[in-house]
Amino acid sequence: MPVNEITYLEGIRQGLQHTMQEDPDVILFGQDVGSFGGAFKVTTGFLEAFGAARVFNTPICESAMLGAAIGMASQGLKPVLEVQFADFATTAIHQLLNNAGTMHYRTGVAVPMTVRAPCGGGFGGGPFHSEELEAFFCHMPGIKVVYPAFPSDARSLLVAAIHDPNPVVFLENKYLYRHIKELVPEAIAPIRIGSARVCRSGQDAVVLTYGAMVHEAIQAAEHLAADMGYRVMVVDMRTLKPYDTDTVIATVAATNRVLIVHEGWHTCGFGAELAALVAEQAFHLLDAPVRRLTAPDCPVPFAPDLEKAYRPNAARIEEALVELLEY
Amino acid sequence: MNDATSLFLLRVMLTTRAIEERLIRLYHQGRIFGGVYTGFGQEASGAAVAAIAAPNDLFAPCIRNLSLHIGRGASPRDLFRQWLGRADGPTGGRDGNVHFGNLDHGVYAMISHLGAMISVVSGGVMARRYQGMDSVGFAFIGDGATSTGDFHEAVNFAAVREVPLMVVVENNHYAYSTPNASQFRCRNLVDKAAGYGIEGIALDGNDAIGLTEALAPVVADLREKPRTVLVEVDTMRMRGHGEHDDFSYVPRELLAAYAARDPLTVCREILLARGLIDPPGLEALEAEVQQAVDEAQQAAFRDPPPSPSTLLKGVYAGE
Repeated sequence: MPVNEITYLEGIRQGLQHTMQEDPDVILFGQDVGSFGGAFKVTTGFLEAFGAARVFNTPICESAMLGAAIGMASQGLKPVLEVQFADFATTAIHQLLNNAGTMHYRTGVAVPMTVRAPCGGGFGGGPFHSEELEAFFCHMPGIKVVYPAFPSDARSLLVAAIHDPNPVVFLENKYLYRHIKELVPEAIAPIRIGSARVCRSGQDAVVLTYGAMVHEAIQAAEHLAADMGYRVMVVDMRTLKPYDTDTVIATVAATNRVLIVHEGWHTCGFGAELAALVAEQAFHLLDAPVRRLTAPDCPVPFAPDLEKAYRPNAARIEEALVELLEY
Repeated sequence: MNDATSLFLLRVMLTTRAIEERLIRLYHQGRIFGGVYTGFGQEASGAAVAAIAAPNDLFAPCIRNLSLHIGRGASPRDLFRQWLGRADGPTGGRDGNVHFGNLDHGVYAMISHLGAMISVVSGGVMARRYQGMDSVGFAFIGDGATSTGDFHEAVNFAAVREVPLMVVVENNHYAYSTPNASQFRCRNLVDKAAGYGIEGIALDGNDAIGLTEALAPVVADLREKPRTVLVEVDTMRMRGHGEHDDFSYVPRELLAAYAARDPLTVCREILLARGLIDPPGLEALEAEVQQAVDEAQQAAFRDPPPSPSTLLKGVYAGE
């Protein structure tokens, strides 16, 4: 089977391109996504390939963009909306929470729409171009949230998101766009929204994580294996709502020690949900208290040294793992 | 305008008034859940738009547009089911009062966040045109909602995209208790059209026949030359924001002036003057409407409420 090495960004691009080729109901719009190709160049060439009726720019109006996507989806299209940065989705949060998330429950009308939201820090974006808002989105009834960490998953999960009959927030980690490469086959493998990926096996502890932190966790686990001989499992949650409770419980059963890592804020972060699940359903399996390593509850700082202190990384994951393993 | 359209307007407005009078009575009898919000005195614009629109058009009615729902085919029984939270109502008891629609009739269910539905109906029209349908959108909004960011974003976006959309601003002079003078600084709300580079039209909001005659050619032209237009209709909210509100903040002389131009009175007089209906015919029509409303209300009270076991049904589609 032919394989190609692609970036995370290329995975997203291929997933989008594939669905647009297969399904004329898929419409793409957002700020600068047309001839400019989007702020991160995910959609370069799409306007030429699919035409102005299917690929178009909008004014700066996140709320009206979300509203228009809801209207299109309610009529049977599958709009894919790019909000340039997840941070800017906050000005449209009520359209997601109150309109997209409630429409099917209240009126029986499905809204199959996908909101692509580039998120995360690590590149000096400062407070308004680095936010990790998955916990906001996960809190909303009627919304699904996916957050891939690998090029192959980005490709497959975007296809799944677009074909899902519900509003899906598709989080793309900006730091991974060009940093992560993977060998992938030509054909896009289907992935079910709601399934996690065990990306490193181990029996001494498990790291439950997602997004850019998956790669930091893998690096930390490899260091620990080389330095101290510990075998640490790493699980990429990859879809956050719904999330894979079975895999979480199974990996806790296999390792008995749990570290949860994310680059979003601490209080009421997604890690709190995972910790609560483990406490409720797997307390008897634990040999040590559940531990969380997250960003602190402060705005994302700009200066490199401050952001380094803010954002978890492989070295700090390794430290936390050693404490957990030696508890 | 043909005779059938005139009689359609009268029938829609009579039905709307009869239902809302009944809702008000049920509220004061304590036989309804939550508040009651009516379009008492504002029946004309919704009826006129329903009279003008085509089958594939889409609508975003607001709080005071029951006449639009009725004009697009909502049944009185469904209306009472909605207000009573019944299982077989338009929202199955998942939402109440004015928050309902029926996309089979092209009507979106509003959410409480005013202005939010303008972009939704605009997107719906974009989709239908992409699918090859001739579709025009109608979004209703009050004077207060013109202050929201959603109004601005949606009107500007639709204008830029040349979406065939008629934004009907019903200026009823009060947003809850806040008068126009505390809501906006321009002389008339229709003046805002200039800022979006779109046409603005100001009309008497209490004359359904006049509205229909004035707007029909505009809508016909929107189908030929797609674009967004802003229509401001002058009207008056003749009750409180809801029935819990005694609206003592509204000068009684202002209410009296609009009472003299009540949309039903205006329509009845024109029809009688044009010989389209005679007094016995009018009496018979009113009796027929009342009877339909009585029967609908009685049936809805007998209809079952939703079972608590269905609480989580439909949070997600396809499950």
